[in-house]
Amino acid sequence: MDYQALLALRIGLVVVLYIAVLQVVFVARRELRHEVRAVAQGQTRTREVVGHLIVIDPGSAPLVNGAEYDIEPITTLGRSPTNSVPIDSGFVSADHARIIYRDGSLWVEDLQSRNGAFVDGHKVGAPVAVSPGSILQIGDSRFKFTT
Amino acid sequence: MTNAGPVRGNTGKVGAAPAQKRWTTPRNYRWTELWLLLFPSLFMLLGLVTLLIVTGQHIDLRAKVLPPLLAFTPVIGLLIALLGAHVALIFVAPDADETLLPIAGMLSSIGVLMSLRLGPDLNQPSLGSKQLLFVIAGLALCVLTVWATRDLKWIRDFPYTWAIVGALLVGVTLVHAGGFNPSAPSRDVLSIGGGALSFQPSEVFKICLVVFFAGYLSENLKVLSEGGYRFGPLTLPPVKNLAPLLVVLGLALLIVLFARELGLAVLILGIFLAMLYAASSRLSYIVMLGGIFAVGAIVIFRIFSYARDRVSLITQAFDPKVYTGAPPLSSYQIVQGLVAFGSGGVFGQGLGLGHPTFVPAATTDYVAAAFAEEFGFAGLLALIAIFMLLLYRGMRIATRSRQPFNQLLALGLTAVFGLQTVVILAGNLKLMPLTGVPLPFVAYGGSSLLANYIIIGLLLRLSREKA
Repeated sequence: MDYQALLALRIGLVVVLYIAVLQVVFVARRELRHEVRAVAQGQTRTREVVGHLIVIDPGSAPLVNGAEYDIEPITTLGRSPTNSVPIDSGFVSADHARIIYRDGSLWVEDLQSRNGAFVDGHKVGAPVAVSPGSILQIGDSRFKFTT
Repeated sequence: MTNAGPVRGNTGKVGAAPAQKRWTTPRNYRWTELWLLLFPSLFMLLGLVTLLIVTGQHIDLRAKVLPPLLAFTPVIGLLIALLGAHVALIFVAPDADETLLPIAGMLSSIGVLMSLRLGPDLNQPSLGSKQLLFVIAGLALCVLTVWATRDLKWIRDFPYTWAIVGALLVGVTLVHAGGFNPSAPSRDVLSIGGGALSFQPSEVFKICLVVFFAGYLSENLKVLSEGGYRFGPLTLPPVKNLAPLLVVLGLALLIVLFARELGLAVLILGIFLAMLYAASSRLSYIVMLGGIFAVGAIVIFRIFSYARDRVSLITQAFDPKVYTGAPPLSSYQIVQGLVAFGSGGVFGQGLGLGHPTFVPAATTDYVAAAFAEEFGFAGLLALIAIFMLLLYRGMRIATRSRQPFNQLLALGLTAVFGLQTVVILAGNLKLMPLTGVPLPFVAYGGSSLLANYIIIGLLLRLSREKA
């Protein structure tokens, strides 16, 4: 009786070891398949959208009131057309400010612009974290953050 | 412009984010990790039942009586510790690799089970519980490492500090141990304190060196891959830029050689060559430096008699005179180890049914022989497969990192595991001179276990996407 139990346990112990190895291999295979599929579909670099900016006051810039811009992990704002959110206004510097996604929140950073960036009425010095509902003012244009 | 998709990104809680609303996704509960943790648990439970049945039979030379309380504590304790680490990681690093903890847990459970089984035979019935304490401390340290290195800056930006910290640790120990003492057993030279609280700084020294190499090499990547002078197809390494690196390496090797830790010297060299090759991708450096080291090895072989002894122990292992010699110069351990491997056969004697304690140091240096005697060739292959998975995960983390420092660090840390495993397994099998390198996670010993869990913590950190 004991002998049979011990034999079964002996086999069981080694089998558990091999099943553990196989399970990790399965996990690895699943990951690799995901990656191969992503590469095949050209999705290795999908555009990440972490929030939105809504124009609530176009000011002197040719923006549409209520227009919605996607916020990507790095979103730049300024007069130059190469920015993610181009704001063509004399009050706005060429590279005015940027929004950065980090550690689960969005941060607004002033890129040493002439007229500064304002979050909820306060001038941005060091990068400042914003939450949905915050108001961003660049030049005389104003935007609202939404999720 | 109006694609209001789901908000993506990591779920870290760090930073002075406003409290009301968050830009986050639902938390990742690491279900894969939980599922994989089932197997170490199952292995421990089956092992425990086996040990309890075996100890019920009072037959000579079988495992001595193991008090059920002493047997249950490590098993239940290990399960709780692993689950605790899992839960902690859900909060600390939800996006970290989910297979590393189960792999380390599997190896640790083998280690705890072997200590548990060998302890009573060595008249140290609490050996399993002690090993469990080390594992728990290691897991805590692992989570702490992941948490403390959220920002890698304090590790990345001060390579020299880390080199000095490592050198101080080992240097102080060396002085404390009274310097070069030819009669001390080699592996005990580099340890502080005695008994249960003895600590071997050489384990931490390895990590410090890897951090230094990674920091230095990643700052000099371009110079390294461009190379220095050229002689036809040969490109010499830019010696001027490599000098600080070589000085640190030389000092490390000197310290280690004076402490007569040949295994550690081989380890450090191997790590250095692996990282240099990864950083420069020039085979010629490796060939040249390898040549220099080979010459150095021959010189050391001539100067230090203990190096010669180590080699002659395996070349003349079956000579009766060598076999029956005085302990440091006896091949008794090596031969008994081979006998243990052999008597395991293909499927092993069964847990608790072999006699692995005939081999000296069955719980530390020769734990692989003890494991192979009771689990057989089949079990040993599975053990090696688990180590290969560990290396695979480490290499994968290295290739997926985006920054050179992270890549080199992951590679170096993985190389620590790989080289240690190879050096001690080859030593046990009489394929190369035996050196006192612990088998990662499996061998009994606190310092090595703690250091290995720190490495796992660093690898977990490096596996996070937002590096």
